[in-house]
Amino acid sequence: MAPIAVGSVIPDGTLAYLDDDNKPQTVSIHSLAAAKKVIIFGVPGAFTPTCSLKHVPGFIERAEELKGKGVDEIICISVNDPFVMNSWAKTFPENKHVKFLADGAAKYTNALGLELDLSDKGLGVRSKRFALLVEDLKVKVANVESGGEFTISSAEEIIKAL
Amino acid sequence: MASAMVKGGGSRLIKSVSAALGTRFYAKVATGTDIVSAAPNVSLQKARTWDEGIASKFSTTPLKDIFKDKKVVIFGLPGAYTGVCSNKHVPPYKENIDKFKAKGIDSVICVAVNDPYTMNAWAEKLQAKEAIDFYGDFDGSFHKSLDLVTDLSGALLGTRSERWSAYVVDGKIKALNVEEAPSDVKVSGADTILGQI
Repeated sequence: MAPIAVGSVIPDGTLAYLDDDNKPQTVSIHSLAAAKKVIIFGVPGAFTPTCSLKHVPGFIERAEELKGKGVDEIICISVNDPFVMNSWAKTFPENKHVKFLADGAAKYTNALGLELDLSDKGLGVRSKRFALLVEDLKVKVANVESGGEFTISSAEEIIKAL
Repeated sequence: MASAMVKGGGSRLIKSVSAALGTRFYAKVATGTDIVSAAPNVSLQKARTWDEGIASKFSTTPLKDIFKDKKVVIFGLPGAYTGVCSNKHVPPYKENIDKFKAKGIDSVICVAVNDPYTMNAWAEKLQAKEAIDFYGDFDGSFHKSLDLVTDLSGALLGTRSERWSAYVVDGKIKALNVEEAPSDVKVSGADTILGQI
């Protein structure tokens, strides 16, 4: 799949999470994003350092600011199962707004054209690092790293577009 | 012929028959199997931090390095950070490590179809890294080779390991226990295998 680009409509897809009873549930991306302003950012892997120490914290820290600028949802996705995502999310107790959603089989990541093969690192097929600003399902900003590096996909960068 | 029946709709019948017989004759491994020969060219990834990964150039551990000339107790489970695995399966292995060592076991190994960084973070959360060696089978190649995989898509986990345990001496399986239901810890627990060593 060609990588998602500015002007495209984001594909629909199903992501997973654990509810308050720790039961696995699914949610459709369109149900979260239709008629809303959302940020979707993708990370290569839960429990890996750039994701945990730089990418996610940036969005957590600036979440209020993003909400103040009209962002309805801030969604973090990764190719991990919902149990791992849930446990990883709990390592950020200060988080109030970022939703951690699991794309366990990389279906949504593939639909976005943002897959990244990290098999040689023992991770398998994962997501590139990216951040999208999506308004009523249309991509307004697509900041996609070529791999796992952390430059344009930060919260800082995407705030400039708001 | 048995495997041909298993592949079709007869698989559920076979499962209940084998449950009645107490056998799992459609699994590729059994007592007496050489685990290294059953999974040639397969490696596992030792649980590690990313920095440790970089330092070791993301090296993997071939099975023969784990099993050759060693007495190993190994147990596999469906998923790091899941309930039964975390609360019921791992802790008794950790708590009984002295008993395993007293019986001459060189290492107790826990393996799952997870990446090694997730396994590492989970092992640290369980405070079990000192007692147990955790390994990731990130692409499931180890479990697929041994036919110890199960479809847990219903729990949104995808293809994972069965819940199982084995006592392996110099690569040869001396005892093998596989749960009928991955949510149970009946035959794959530490107490059972301690009695089999």
